[in-house]
Amino acid sequence: MKLIKTFALALSLCLSAPLAVAAPEAAAKMEAAPGEIIVANVNGLVCDFCAQSIRKTVGKEDAVQKVYVDLSKGQVRIDVKPGKSLDDETIEKLVRKSGYSLVSIDRNAAK
Amino acid sequence: MPSRYLAAGLALAALAAPASARPVSYAGGWTLMQENNGMFSSLHTHYSPTATDSIGVYVEQNWDMDSTFTGLQYNRLVRRWNAPQSQGNLYLKLGAGLADPFGGGAAEAASFGGIAADWETRRVFVSYDVRARDFGPDESVSHAARLGVAPYVAEFGDLHTWAMLQIENHPEADEPLTFTPLLRFFKGPFLLEAGYTIEEEEFLLNWVWRY
Repeated sequence: MKLIKTFALALSLCLSAPLAVAAPEAAAKMEAAPGEIIVANVNGLVCDFCAQSIRKTVGKEDAVQKVYVDLSKGQVRIDVKPGKSLDDETIEKLVRKSGYSLVSIDRNAAK
Repeated sequence: MPSRYLAAGLALAALAAPASARPVSYAGGWTLMQENNGMFSSLHTHYSPTATDSIGVYVEQNWDMDSTFTGLQYNRLVRRWNAPQSQGNLYLKLGAGLADPFGGGAAEAASFGGIAADWETRRVFVSYDVRARDFGPDESVSHAARLGVAPYVAEFGDLHTWAMLQIENHPEADEPLTFTPLLRFFKGPFLLEAGYTIEEEEFLLNWVWRY
């Protein structure tokens, strides 16, 4: 009987251990969940020197984590911070403030 | 006058001709630019409260007009055409201040006004700039046009290179029509232009820093 109890205890420990290890991993994955990726299609994006304005203007927004400019596609990719959001109106305002014209917005298009 | 010292510094730092750099930055942006040619050297720093306006200080030492201008400059983006593969701009530039004649003499109220237009794709650049100056006893009108080609298409953040030809017309100058082949480089917030005005045998050196 004692042997059975010992075996059962050992088995329960073995089964619970991976769960205990997995729990922090899952939590870490939750924390590292990426924010929304927004792609803004912009007209007039032909000059790198001038397009720096988009990177600076959009990058100053609190919800924005990173800004990538693609001159070839005329696109601005905005990585939003996890847990934050950026509405269309704000994006349009930021693009206009940078001196460009917004054509359309694709959400999560780059995922 | 402090402007004389500044102008002297400009003259030492510079050698040559005008940049068709855009006079308005993004909202909240600052720009520092210097243009140098056989006719004048200038330093202009401005702040853009909006994406269509900028205001700043402008200093120009003009050897053709034998005076140094120090004053304020206001720039207005009158119209911008944003297209999928191109952009066009129309600017108005106005300046008011004092003109200090070389070799002494009383400073006089001075002003200038100009219109600039440009259009570019990632491969081709064209611009036109006309400026009228009233520096006290001396007045002048000048025109400048540029045609540029990018030998390669660079991506965002890379070094961009342009080969350009600048054609200038100064009706009252000894050489009313001048040609300046030049190279324009820019990377990030820095722009540099270097060239040579054939008729006047003068170098061109312009730079812009946006921050």
